[in-house]
Amino acid sequence: MSDKGKVIVIGSGPIRIGQGIEFDYSCVHCVWTLRELGYEAIIINNNPETVSTDFDTSDRLFFEPLTVEDVMNIIDREEPEGVIVQFGGQTAINLAKPLHEAGVRIFGSSYDSIDLAEDRDRFDNVLRALNVAKPQGRAVTNEKDALIVAEEISYPVLVRPSYVLGGRAMELVYSRADLERYMTYVVDVSPKAPILIDKYIIGKEVEVDVISDGVDCLLPGIMEHIERAGVHSGDSMAVYPPQTLSQDVIDQIVRVATSLALRLEVRGLMNIQFVVDHETNTAMVLEVNPRASRTVPYLSKVTGIPMVKVATRAMMGVSLKEQGYTSGLHPNQGSIAVKAPVFSFLKLTQVDIGLGPEMKSTGEIMGVDTKYPLALYKAMLASGIDVPTGGNLIATIADPDKAEAVPIIRGFQEMGFHIYATAGTASYLTQRGIPVTTVHKLHEANENITSLIRSGKISLLINTLSTDKRIEREAIQIRRASVEAGVPCLTSLDTAKALLLSLATRKKGANFALATIDEYMEGRVMA
Amino acid sequence: MPKDPSIKKVLLIGSGPIIIGQAAEFDYAGAQACRSLREEGIEVVLINSNPATIMTDVEMADRVYIEPLSVEFVERIVAKERPDGIVATLGGQTGLNLATQVAEAGILERYNTRLLGTPLRAIRQAEDREEFRTLMREIGEPVPESWIITDESQLGDAIASGIWPLIVRPAYTLGGTGGGIARNVDELLTITRSGLALSMRHQVMVERYLSGWKEVEYEVMRDANDTAITVCNMENFDPMGVHTGDSIVIAPSQTLSDKEYQMLRTASLKIIRSLGIEGGCNVQLSLDPHSFAYYVIEVNPRVSRSSALASKATGYPIARVSAKIAIGLHLDEIENAVTRKTLACFEPALDYCVLKIPRWPFDKFVGADRRITTQMKATGEVMAIDRAFEPALMKAIRSLEVGIYGLANKTGHTLSDMELEEAIRVPHDERLWSITEGFRRGMMVEEINALSNVDPWFLRKLEGLVNLETRLKVNAPAFKQMSKALESEEEEAQEPLEERFGSAVRLLREAKRMGFADRTVSEFAGMSEGKLRKLRKHLGIVPVYKMVDTCAAEFEALTPYYYSCYDTEDE
Repeated sequence: MSDKGKVIVIGSGPIRIGQGIEFDYSCVHCVWTLRELGYEAIIINNNPETVSTDFDTSDRLFFEPLTVEDVMNIIDREEPEGVIVQFGGQTAINLAKPLHEAGVRIFGSSYDSIDLAEDRDRFDNVLRALNVAKPQGRAVTNEKDALIVAEEISYPVLVRPSYVLGGRAMELVYSRADLERYMTYVVDVSPKAPILIDKYIIGKEVEVDVISDGVDCLLPGIMEHIERAGVHSGDSMAVYPPQTLSQDVIDQIVRVATSLALRLEVRGLMNIQFVVDHETNTAMVLEVNPRASRTVPYLSKVTGIPMVKVATRAMMGVSLKEQGYTSGLHPNQGSIAVKAPVFSFLKLTQVDIGLGPEMKSTGEIMGVDTKYPLALYKAMLASGIDVPTGGNLIATIADPDKAEAVPIIRGFQEMGFHIYATAGTASYLTQRGIPVTTVHKLHEANENITSLIRSGKISLLINTLSTDKRIEREAIQIRRASVEAGVPCLTSLDTAKALLLSLATRKKGANFALATIDEYMEGRVMA
Repeated sequence: MPKDPSIKKVLLIGSGPIIIGQAAEFDYAGAQACRSLREEGIEVVLINSNPATIMTDVEMADRVYIEPLSVEFVERIVAKERPDGIVATLGGQTGLNLATQVAEAGILERYNTRLLGTPLRAIRQAEDREEFRTLMREIGEPVPESWIITDESQLGDAIASGIWPLIVRPAYTLGGTGGGIARNVDELLTITRSGLALSMRHQVMVERYLSGWKEVEYEVMRDANDTAITVCNMENFDPMGVHTGDSIVIAPSQTLSDKEYQMLRTASLKIIRSLGIEGGCNVQLSLDPHSFAYYVIEVNPRVSRSSALASKATGYPIARVSAKIAIGLHLDEIENAVTRKTLACFEPALDYCVLKIPRWPFDKFVGADRRITTQMKATGEVMAIDRAFEPALMKAIRSLEVGIYGLANKTGHTLSDMELEEAIRVPHDERLWSITEGFRRGMMVEEINALSNVDPWFLRKLEGLVNLETRLKVNAPAFKQMSKALESEEEEAQEPLEERFGSAVRLLREAKRMGFADRTVSEFAGMSEGKLRKLRKHLGIVPVYKMVDTCAAEFEALTPYYYSCYDTEDE
């Protein structure tokens, strides 16, 4: 028995898209830290696959559903000092309100802090008061207002139902007709179920986690997404430390994250997603999660800061100063880590693999090395984008992307790839001096793009998403063919550019480092 | 035999990213194995590309490599670290495939190291269909008629046999990727083509499809001394044709007679011995519900998703014990870490029912094909424990977090009778609720069994739950009256509620014992969940907590875990 009493950690339930193993990882570290601090740590979870439900992870394990009823029954019996809801993903954070109302003490950020971050109106007021930029936008409760707001802030706009998490039914909308379709067929809008309409800002997406004890705010690291805004953060590749952000933008991010953490009275962890407007270089807040995010294990490993441990201690009253940390951005130790998503599209027939604001990946991997292109190559390889440094490539590029695609396709061609393309893309590339073989579209001939993909001769498909639904219907079939034939398919030019960079390094005969994670972290690996 | 003294340093291969068919269970297994090996004084080197894992924490192994799981990187690690052995049976199919490639590339000889635990020959024999069938024939275990196909032109014999339907299973893939059931020649050609394309060995097996047969799994362990035990058996709710990762699974089996149980247990032990597996292994069998005929379907010569479930269901740490067996220890030399009194050769005993329901991603992929087949689609799963099947099922349902808390889903009542019959016949993610809707409309156990082939035992349990649901809907208003009486009474004590509302109190008690959620019952009663909870507590209808201790309370458990039930005695 412990003299400090019992603390219950709420687990994250079954693994699903948007709430994966990362949350179990955080729960386990929270339990271990509580035990180190002398508390009796109790975990409630129902997922048999995990470490959190291993018999010797906690002092006591309850294999139970994570509903208010089942959790309250355990609280009645165990009479804990309090409950921790910050690590079990949305499953746990959703219990904050009913547990708070039942008089249960929540360790870490209070229920009010959580609500302040999750309630759109309250949060907007906070941002205004702190003078923090965010993309223009409003919540609407009917189609008419939706169209007015969209005109006002101008297309493209990002639309999604309010209070729906993990990006469900979130779409990028480019036109009035498209918005009408969305409001009619995709969502049910009513005064009780408002729809959020935000200006879509073209720019870099950046993510940070903040640990706060109420006085100091530590930022273990900043992650820069490789794909531009519009791809769900869970489906983006990301690099630590950032490779293209100016010091000014980094300063903005640290300033905003710190002031938000203090204003929201965060105790423990918070995650913030930014978009850096490419015209004004302003870091705008996209979203705040008042809890541990999916990036915690990855950042913990590459920064060397045991984030859950530090956050749990801060929640239980051990200040950051006492733990030897100060406010601000923790300096990078010298290695570069790229996180890449992994998908399970092979198993899910009839699912479109194009990346967008809805998350589709089931897992992730990390590539670490001393230079960005090397880490990138390892991440590509480990995530299954195992592309040789030559061969055949098919490109089908949507009109708005064509100009941007030219230098990338040329890069692949110069490296030794033979380029195949459908008519429109082919003539565009040929005019710009890239030799291309034209391949028929699906409806044009029996020997067409999908039979070429299935032939086994193709090592890569680059297919950017069109806003024309007629083109997209065919594109979905092309992308599915690539999944079934085992041909890597990239739908973002940013990913293609990153792949090109990594293959070029591979081709030059780069020396990839081989080191343990602590050697990387401590900067003991020579470039 | 005590631990092999020549093994001082081992390389453990992890399973890489989470994908459908390979989820968190391998982090659980790998983390347990790291601790298990280090406990024996062995230096552990680890490779895994997935940073979101406990096993890749620097505290878990002596040397942690987060590098790509490729032959190139494994070879470099072996060259640098010079491990005495490699443990590959804890990293899922990814780890096993990689180890096979490493062995085939001659890396083991080049660096004078070896695979520990189950020998490569046994892995090949278990995973290569032809070798496996030959071995089964030698030991007299029945396998379904089947044909190994490496080119679609070889399908002639299968077609000529006249056996339909046939099932196509590709060799060396994850979670049955690319397989399917063919009912005619055209379907057979299509599925075979995609299966061949996806198989690492360009090989598929075409086999008699055992439509309507039960699917049963045994988790067995064996050491180098040929001691072998059963950890537990598990029964699929869905008959053959649904991937076990996509099926509701119950442990221990509920519908098998003792004779059937013993027959399949004997077969499983015979199989693990004949393969020479050293560690944990999963045996899948198919049983005819109308005779004692059975077939051996498949063997996983490694720790798997099923073994994680079996470990949690019984408290027997399969990965931990497998790791110890890999370094030479025997089952009778390994302590049971839960009781610390018994040994790992002691078969667990269960005095409760465990139920798993898969969690599918169809809330995210609205347009996806929701039928469940031999190709796994679930991303995760939930498990619930209770004294009986019914409350375990009800708890598992509300653990799923899909907005369903009881016996009704959102769409069941909107289906026409014909649509409902189809929804009962064809397996899909919400078939359970199609079946309960069938009972609600007055369908009989026999009818639903004829459509779904789900065992009548399970169906009768579901029918019983639906009948109880109906009684609750009719009588729940009495709960509201009780609640009102309770509020007005708090000042002056009157005749106890139990006496005035005897039958209602008994009904509430029964509903809770059968696993109905307060949320569902309060909806039927037209009252708030909070008020029902208050009433329930006033009536003393509160759960007690029982222990999972691996031995049905025969020995005292030191690191137990708990499940709730509306029984009397707290443990």
